[in-house]
Amino acid sequence: MAEELSVVGKRLPRPDAAEKVTGAARFVGDIKLPGLLIGKVLRSPHAHAKVLKVETGKAERLPGVKAVITSKDMPRKLFNAAFWNMCLADPEKAGEIQDQFIFDNKVRYIGDAVAAVAAVDEQTAEKALALIRVQYKPLPAAFTPEEAMKPQATRIHDFAEGNLCWPHVPFPFGAGEVEKDFAEADVIVEDTFYCSRQKHAQMELDACIASFDAGGRLTVWSPAQLMYLARRKMANFFDIPEGRIRWITPYTGGGFGGRLAFNAEPICIGLAKKAGQPVKLEYDRHEDFVAHDSRTPHKMDFKLGFKKDGTLSALKIKLLADAGAYLGQSGMTTAVCMAFGLGHYRCPNTAGEMTIVYTNTPPTGGMRGYGNPEAMWALEQLMDVAAEKLGLDPLDIRLRNYKKVGEPSALLLPIQSLALEQCVEAGAERIGWKEKRALTGNGMKRRGVGMATMTHCSGAAPLLLEHGNAALKLNEDGSVNLVVSPTEMGQGILGVLAQIAAEELGVRIEDVRVVLGDTDATRFDIGSHASRTTFVTGNAVLGAARQAKGKLLERAAPMLEASAEDLEVRDRRIYVKGSPDKAISVADVARDAIYNYQQNCGQITGECDWESKVVSPPGQACFAEVEVDTQSGEVQVLRLVLAHDIGRAINPTNVEGQIEGGAMQGFGYALCEDFVVDTRTGETLTDSFTAYRLPSFLDLPEIEGIMIEEPDPVGPYGAKSIGESSLVAVAPAIGNAIYHAVGVRIKDLPITAEKILKGLKQK
Amino acid sequence: MKKEIAEFLVNGRPYDVILEAHKTLLEVLRDRLDLTGTKYACGTGECGCCTVLIEGRPVLSCLTLAVTAKKKKITTIEGLANGGLHPLQKAFIDYGAVQCGFCTPGMILTAKTLLDETPQPTPEEVKFALAGNLCRCTGYVKIIQAVLAAAQAMKRGEK
Repeated sequence: MAEELSVVGKRLPRPDAAEKVTGAARFVGDIKLPGLLIGKVLRSPHAHAKVLKVETGKAERLPGVKAVITSKDMPRKLFNAAFWNMCLADPEKAGEIQDQFIFDNKVRYIGDAVAAVAAVDEQTAEKALALIRVQYKPLPAAFTPEEAMKPQATRIHDFAEGNLCWPHVPFPFGAGEVEKDFAEADVIVEDTFYCSRQKHAQMELDACIASFDAGGRLTVWSPAQLMYLARRKMANFFDIPEGRIRWITPYTGGGFGGRLAFNAEPICIGLAKKAGQPVKLEYDRHEDFVAHDSRTPHKMDFKLGFKKDGTLSALKIKLLADAGAYLGQSGMTTAVCMAFGLGHYRCPNTAGEMTIVYTNTPPTGGMRGYGNPEAMWALEQLMDVAAEKLGLDPLDIRLRNYKKVGEPSALLLPIQSLALEQCVEAGAERIGWKEKRALTGNGMKRRGVGMATMTHCSGAAPLLLEHGNAALKLNEDGSVNLVVSPTEMGQGILGVLAQIAAEELGVRIEDVRVVLGDTDATRFDIGSHASRTTFVTGNAVLGAARQAKGKLLERAAPMLEASAEDLEVRDRRIYVKGSPDKAISVADVARDAIYNYQQNCGQITGECDWESKVVSPPGQACFAEVEVDTQSGEVQVLRLVLAHDIGRAINPTNVEGQIEGGAMQGFGYALCEDFVVDTRTGETLTDSFTAYRLPSFLDLPEIEGIMIEEPDPVGPYGAKSIGESSLVAVAPAIGNAIYHAVGVRIKDLPITAEKILKGLKQK
Repeated sequence: MKKEIAEFLVNGRPYDVILEAHKTLLEVLRDRLDLTGTKYACGTGECGCCTVLIEGRPVLSCLTLAVTAKKKKITTIEGLANGGLHPLQKAFIDYGAVQCGFCTPGMILTAKTLLDETPQPTPEEVKFALAGNLCRCTGYVKIIQAVLAAAQAMKRGEK
């Protein structure tokens, strides 16, 4: 990184923005095909029932209805909706359970799919649904893990005794002797925390279009975050070779982990197959709430042992998770919760245990942060509890225990880079930590400051397949086509990858046209999740651009009467280092490579297949300042400062956008988002944005993102991840700030005025 | 079912549409006129993604029966750029106020009404004007910055 960068690090407008501000950007729901039918799903009104009979005759006879499908029409194959887990070498060994049929002879939650129709228009499809007669035999149901684990509880899945999906699974990366150490610890803190079923609540609802062509080849349009893995899983399910499926993922209206598992896709493909016509299946917002997964809720028992000087010596975690009706990703997100819980503090003795339970409620799964916000909600509040017991400042107890570069990460590989201490320092200074911690209020409204920290991942190596690809070519005008496969779901990866390619090739961002989202045109990449695409796909792009740059300079060398090693390319011009006056344009060289009439053609291209084998966690410190009304219990968040260890910001505006957006999702997780299932009936009570309250403009506190740039040795231009991080530490920071303000510690999410008032009364 | 031929004036252009009485304006715009920039995200008037302008005022097209909008001047996101991007569109690009882009059309059109009526709004006024538009990606910060910047650009006479 000796010379100054011209494209990387600049606040350049993202290439997809112009289409998005003019309404030209196309999402799945915007796509039309000749003869496109509209699909609708019939969902169960019962939380748990046997499906005795599904009569479809009347629906089938309704004019305009082209297909009605039930369990008879779908492969009778057990299935797990998460396609994410194709990243695991042996999903079953890692605990994946195939526990779901697409349409079963039993329904397991209110909203479970029973049948589906495809018709010429929406109205006809809805009429047809109403004509399907289903005979149910209701069964007793269980709506909480505690209820489901009772000996007399109903059995939700035949194989799962006691409704235990994963019973008492130990965390595989534990170390030392926890119990022995607890016996010798000077201070022990322990408590039980609860976290909630946060909804992804992405603005674009789930949608899928499936179309078989005359030769039987299937094209699917879907907002999957991992299109190649989605394709493989559907290929296996429908017994179609992968190459006979073209998967297209256009712009996606928000992901947040909500598109790591199938929603509309399997049913939509089933409908298109039966109808022999293309089908579009779009969820409505009610379906999104009742039938699309949400963050897995956990009961979390955390126990920490410390030496007198504040050194953490033992950490034990016990998690009880509610999978809902099907496992989906809830097992893995719980395992990852434990990994992050054992992540950023050095601790010689660690152990964990998790139990995943089925209930007759909507399936749960992974959401932005994937277990990390859950773990930090407990751990980072207990660090404050311990600090108080030990008479230490919350910053000092943390700084004493952070892992350092080279030490093993939660997944054992050494940490490549980490600037957590700088994050703490910068954030503390910006919020005015010393002065504000010293203040104690006694009025009706009291202010407090609190903080929490975390590390996350830049791709999930070595746990998962971390494989990305990039290819590019130079056109005769010097422009570049960059072909990659992550999903652009708002995070800005399209622009980030274009900036990396432009920097390396010495062209401008507007010269790079990114092609993505089509398995017929692009190469394999696992896709957009685990905060991986800048780090992993970015490295593939860098590799491809380096290869092309090598060819570009080789060809330019004789033209400039110099050797390739002495050449430099910058702002579309190639010249001998140190003498920029004598130059040749990138376009001239690129054109010569294509239209060479001296029989010396060879278009300038580059390709790179890159796999991450390292752990480069970003760190983040979140500081919160709150005001608590002791009469009403209301909390106002005045300010959030998030200092993030980004390695290098490829585009600072983008990074800030991820910090601010993540922070507001963390704010919602902390204070206002509450997914409620009626524990008497199993009905989802929060099935709209009125009932499930997302943060709005009116909630917005002052948010300040700080970027700490200490380049990572492996990341492209030193970059690490930002995608998921900023949601993670917000809730515990707010929790700690509330405790500082009024001395009340809230342990179950979300933090509400009622809970604070109750706490104030109990004091 | 009763049908009529209804005339809609969208983005300065007349369209004749065979209209059933129950159709919403959102359905007419998206399904009949192919103006898919207007988005469906809740269908119950809670998110603001379907916002369009009728006679310059923001309405939720998912809750508006199309028959009530006949012959009125309708502006969708596709009609905002007039020989070049509107200052709000430019500012949304320049200030990073766009992420997934699904709320963006409704957000920009609501902001346009604000700037038409209050050319120099305070940040608080921006927040109140846009409070009915949800965004799950940006955390709102950059949207406010973009609207304020667009107001400045319009004051300088950039159209």
